[in-house]
Amino acid sequence: MKMSRRERRLQSRTERLDKLRKEVHKAYVAKERHTPKEIQYKGLLKLMRDHYKPLMIIPLAMLVFSLVVILMTYSETGSLMYKGVSLQGGISLTIPMKEQVDVPALESFLRTRLPQSDLDIRILSEAGKQKGLLIDASNVKEDIFLGALRERMTLGDFSIETLGPSLGDAFFTQALWALAIAFALMSLVVFLYFRTLVPSAAVIIAAVCDMLFALAGVNLLGLRLSTAGLAAFLMLIGYSVDTDILLTARVMKSKEGSVFDRVVSALKTGFLMNIVALATTIVTLIFTQSPVIMQIMWVLLFGLIADIINTWIQNAGILRYYLEKKGVQ
Amino acid sequence: MGKLRKMFTNLRILILVIFLILGLFAVYPNPWNEGLAIRNVEKNSSASLAGIENPAPTSTPMSRERILAVNNNPVTDVNSFYSMLSVVPSNATVTLKTNKNIYRLVARPVINGTVQDFGLSVYPAPQTNIRKGLDLQGGTRVILQPEGEVTKEDLDLVMDNIKERLNVYGLSDIVVRAITDLAGKSYILVEIAGANQQEVRDLLSKQGKFEAKVGNTTVFKGGGDVTYVCRSADCSGLDPQAGCQQQEGGWYCSFRFSISLTPKAAQHQADATRLLTVVSSPSGNYLSEKLNLFLDDEEVDALNIGAELKGSPMTEIQISGSGSGVSHQEAIQNTLDSMKRLQTILITGSLPVKLNIVKMDSISPVLGEEFLKNAILVCLLSVLTVSIILFIRYRRFSVSIPIIITMLSEVFLTLALAALIGWNIDLASIAGIIVAIGTGVDDQIVIADETLYKKKLEGEEEGSWKDKLKSAFFIIFAAYFTLTAAMIPLLFAGAGLLKGFAITTILAVTIGVLITRPAYAAFIEILTKE
Repeated sequence: MKMSRRERRLQSRTERLDKLRKEVHKAYVAKERHTPKEIQYKGLLKLMRDHYKPLMIIPLAMLVFSLVVILMTYSETGSLMYKGVSLQGGISLTIPMKEQVDVPALESFLRTRLPQSDLDIRILSEAGKQKGLLIDASNVKEDIFLGALRERMTLGDFSIETLGPSLGDAFFTQALWALAIAFALMSLVVFLYFRTLVPSAAVIIAAVCDMLFALAGVNLLGLRLSTAGLAAFLMLIGYSVDTDILLTARVMKSKEGSVFDRVVSALKTGFLMNIVALATTIVTLIFTQSPVIMQIMWVLLFGLIADIINTWIQNAGILRYYLEKKGVQ
Repeated sequence: MGKLRKMFTNLRILILVIFLILGLFAVYPNPWNEGLAIRNVEKNSSASLAGIENPAPTSTPMSRERILAVNNNPVTDVNSFYSMLSVVPSNATVTLKTNKNIYRLVARPVINGTVQDFGLSVYPAPQTNIRKGLDLQGGTRVILQPEGEVTKEDLDLVMDNIKERLNVYGLSDIVVRAITDLAGKSYILVEIAGANQQEVRDLLSKQGKFEAKVGNTTVFKGGGDVTYVCRSADCSGLDPQAGCQQQEGGWYCSFRFSISLTPKAAQHQADATRLLTVVSSPSGNYLSEKLNLFLDDEEVDALNIGAELKGSPMTEIQISGSGSGVSHQEAIQNTLDSMKRLQTILITGSLPVKLNIVKMDSISPVLGEEFLKNAILVCLLSVLTVSIILFIRYRRFSVSIPIIITMLSEVFLTLALAALIGWNIDLASIAGIIVAIGTGVDDQIVIADETLYKKKLEGEEEGSWKDKLKSAFFIIFAAYFTLTAAMIPLLFAGAGLLKGFAITTILAVTIGVLITRPAYAAFIEILTKE
């Protein structure tokens, strides 16, 4: 079929128009590529992007709060923490017991019978169901302690741990040494890995703040720390640096996007890590009946909560400030 | 099909599979392992005379001899086993069938008031080669500190002596280890698996310096001067003459046993008694000084010396002592226990240094089992929690199921490695495994996000899998090195009590970064790549 002249003219005009449109689009795309499009952030992320400096008050306030609590504990006990039997010597008795026990009554009875002794009674439970009783006592002889307890209850099967005060003191000093050495080694590894002062220091500062907050938390609960509890602070280092290293690696090693885009990219991965660790800690805390694991989990719980703030606000803030000063956008 | 083939030809996955198979051999699980495993065989007991051997402390749990039947009645329960044996009359024969042999045990004459004792202690047959630590299986842990400075030779001597004492006493499932802490102090750690053994306290804390004196002259000492300590029923046991008496508030019993001295020691005694005078008393004629027996400088007994022994060497001496209890039964038991301890100390001699008990833990087997069950429950719940969260986040089975497989493989391989190197899994180790899995999940999230979910930032080129994995493992190794560095000081601090925690954590994360996490990366690469 033949086309009329008018039709032909129309066709060539649309062809030309199409061509033009394509060219304009090409130019637009090219322009787009040269000037990065800003990613739109909403809500919390927008707040974090625009006001990261004022937000640093939150981790700072947490640090001050932790220090105040720890100092209060220090003025009360002369030590940075409430020491359990394994750090000061004494007796720790675990009794499997399913029937309800009137803990305050038992405590006041033992206090009048053993006035010299420092007592701590706790219920061990699995998902809220009572499974046993844990009694810590210091400054008392085993037979006197058991004798007093036998006046109140029949003791069938039980576990008892006794520790001399000298070894308790030795455990405490050494646990502190172990913490200090572990910290030094950890810092060394971080410095060797990133080889830049400020970003490495930020990772380490975050770990310190996590640990201080965890210590303040267990102090507020009045938990008496054992050697296992102190070891939990080392575990905390492990969890804490995981997210910090992820953040530092993404921000420092990547060259693309704005600094904040890289922070958000790390946040998407790291926050899931935080959530998983927190959820497992809470589940374990609810279901464990072992006083050892319970204590470890309390330390981790406070530490992990602090870690969310200390990684994504404090560490990210320090990194951004550092890169801003260096002129990186 | 193609994906499955790819999976089984991938090197990283193959390495994981090979390790899992090797792990299976190390753990050697058999949930149907029946009978009762033999823990201790007392020396000179009916069981040991019948030829039943003490298990070597280093033997793997699954290789231990198991008792299957008593007189052809199958046994499955520890308590019913003991009660079956306790009523066997004197001199009767009992047939014990084990997985290795059939033994015929001849029952001993029963001392009045006690029950038949074949000298066997057993526990329910283990189902894997994983060794449970003291706090999960029950037992006694003692930490001893030597008084003053000790040389390494002395320490070795003390440990050998302690092992022998415990063996002679009838305990063989023991660990005796020297530990040095960060401050350079030495301790001796003794762990006795199984029953609640408060009585070992005296056995371990006594230096065992046994001395017999006439006046101020030492005539003989324990160890070298004593050639034989009688422990059979005819010359040791409750004293037939003194017997047991009820006194105010309880019962008192006496024991006696005879010992033989070297001729040299006997001569010493003859020299010491030569110049003594004879004193007459209604019960007979004795010498003016008694033979006083001291244990660690405390007098334990004073024996009258018959007038006829004046100046003559005597190679056989009868030693006596006593014990008490609230009930008749308890008094007999305590008396016999203290006799056994004294005999043990006399046989094994004294330690070169004095030891102080600085820590003593006695853990009930019932509580241990509770803790173990609970620990398994907690571990399973943690894995479940992690799985649910990951599934909510990724909504893809091909990403979240490999994470669960990796977690379980890490737990299994850590337990297998512990079984292989003979490491005990205790509560602290379980905590270590939990940390390792936690960091493992962190690592897998990093792998998944780096490779699949990381949103391309403006202008960033889509990198190859290799590049993505490289940046994932950059982060993973940084985390690995810091955690390992943090754990190292714990290997040495606090008398090694947290060694279990540190070692398990390091083992588990090492397995993680070297075996399971690379395999995970390969898994998702194959499963998600078009």
